Amino acid sequence: MDFADLCYLSAGQLSRLIKNREVSPVEVIKAHLARIDALESTLNSFITLLPDQAMEDARKAEQEIQIGRYRGPLHGIPFGLKDLFYVKGIRNTSGSKIFDNYLPNFDSTIASKLKEAGAILLGKLNLHQFAYGATGENPDYGHMHNPWNPACITGGSSGGSASAAGSGQCTLTAGTDTGGSIRIPSALCGLAGLKPTYGRLSRYGITVLSWSQDHPGPMARTVEDCALAMNAVAGYDPNDPTSANVSVPDYTKTLTGNIKSLRVGVAKEFFEDSIDPQVEEAVRKAIELLSELGANVHEVSWPMYHRSQAISSTILMAEATTYHKKLIQKHGFQLDSAVRLRLEAGFFVSGVDYIQAQRGRTLFYRQSRDLLKQVDILAGPTVPIAACKIGTTEVRLGNTAMGVIPALTQYTRPFNLNGFPAITVPCGFSKDGLPIGLQLAGKPFDEETLLRVAHVYEQATEWHKRRPPISK
Amino acid sequence: MADKIKLGKETFLSIAKASGLDTEDPHIEELYAYAQNVFPSFKVSEEFDLTDVEPMMMFIPSKE
Repeated sequence: MDFADLCYLSAGQLSRLIKNREVSPVEVIKAHLARIDALESTLNSFITLLPDQAMEDARKAEQEIQIGRYRGPLHGIPFGLKDLFYVKGIRNTSGSKIFDNYLPNFDSTIASKLKEAGAILLGKLNLHQFAYGATGENPDYGHMHNPWNPACITGGSSGGSASAAGSGQCTLTAGTDTGGSIRIPSALCGLAGLKPTYGRLSRYGITVLSWSQDHPGPMARTVEDCALAMNAVAGYDPNDPTSANVSVPDYTKTLTGNIKSLRVGVAKEFFEDSIDPQVEEAVRKAIELLSELGANVHEVSWPMYHRSQAISSTILMAEATTYHKKLIQKHGFQLDSAVRLRLEAGFFVSGVDYIQAQRGRTLFYRQSRDLLKQVDILAGPTVPIAACKIGTTEVRLGNTAMGVIPALTQYTRPFNLNGFPAITVPCGFSKDGLPIGLQLAGKPFDEETLLRVAHVYEQATEWHKRRPPISK
Repeated sequence: MADKIKLGKETFLSIAKASGLDTEDPHIEELYAYAQNVFPSFKVSEEFDLTDVEPMMMFIPSKE
């Protein structure tokens, strides 16, 4: 097996080879480091690379496995972390040169759990500055580039996580999602990306953007890999005050292949929004396929959906500005100009606006909960467009001109506001060969159903098997 | 309703100053345009009947 093939195996496939000692973690890490070496000048996925540490960890994993101390399916699997997950002794920039030399003195819970599972950290991944943007453009560390067309955005804010997993530089990556920052880049780079329920994964040791809307989660080339990662990282953490003490299932056991009689709701409001006809066609076909696979598909109504983006944004702006207040005041001129504007504009959200938005959130939560009594999951688009060119500030959808960020986040933000889990899986390609994502959202703490449906859809299609041209 | 709410220049400068921003910086005009644009969206929850609706705030007393 050549290096390129090794880099395009899923974590599930690699783990079986590693467990059976058909491939060693050292070979796996060498292959991925070679791939990073070959592609990094084009993609710019990483802010900090850790080749020496990764090789040392790979040798340690190899020895452990040789003496029968196999830790489980992530043992020897290469992963990358968005550069806002703290890792002890490794710089954490949050995408800003202001923190170019910041060294955390503890591990984020997710980094700690992945290391405990035997996964091998290859490096810290590029992101939209402070995770406050949806394009993956970063003036400090360079823009992230889409593996399917490097002239195009990756989406953000976890853009480096998406380009690294999409191009085979990493098998698994972790991102965070405050308005869509896992799902948007996953959709635009042809990945599966899961934003779990708020509280399911610990936020401890992750740079804050919005305390009440930040969700960490896995990004990978297959749904099974998201399930494997969830098995390693989900669960209660006393270090995170909003962590939920809810039992964690074995997520891989939920991939049963059966969605018969599952009730799938399609909110009519999804298609009232402006959407690229190619995306709408791909998503509608994906929903038809779910029906052919045994699901009962219904149109439903979600009246507050259109206003949920503004409610979410108000809360985000107030919380992000509060968290970064001193930074804005002292270092505002050093920030990405668009991020600076968003951060400074948060000062104009009044206390009353914030509380009213949290009351609006209560109403939206109730409406979402009632909606998900009628159906088991919701299905719709993840992003209304395929990846646009880097530097694009406005997109045209039919007769409507929209700012690129409101366009990218229109379908994802509602699930940050209600905290419900949502996943994206590839469901087609644009005429320009760029990936399109199907978003599925479910009931709180029912990631199992989402993973099951996403897996059934994935296995019934070939989209996830395509490789970006850069991989050839 | 929210669309009719505007952020006047005087109010803007007063909040900017109280927030520790440099109101003499030329960048402040760009911020004013941006803030004016997003300001109405902060009021969107006013469109709903929020009678007896409590805010979704999280406060979990420690068990320690």
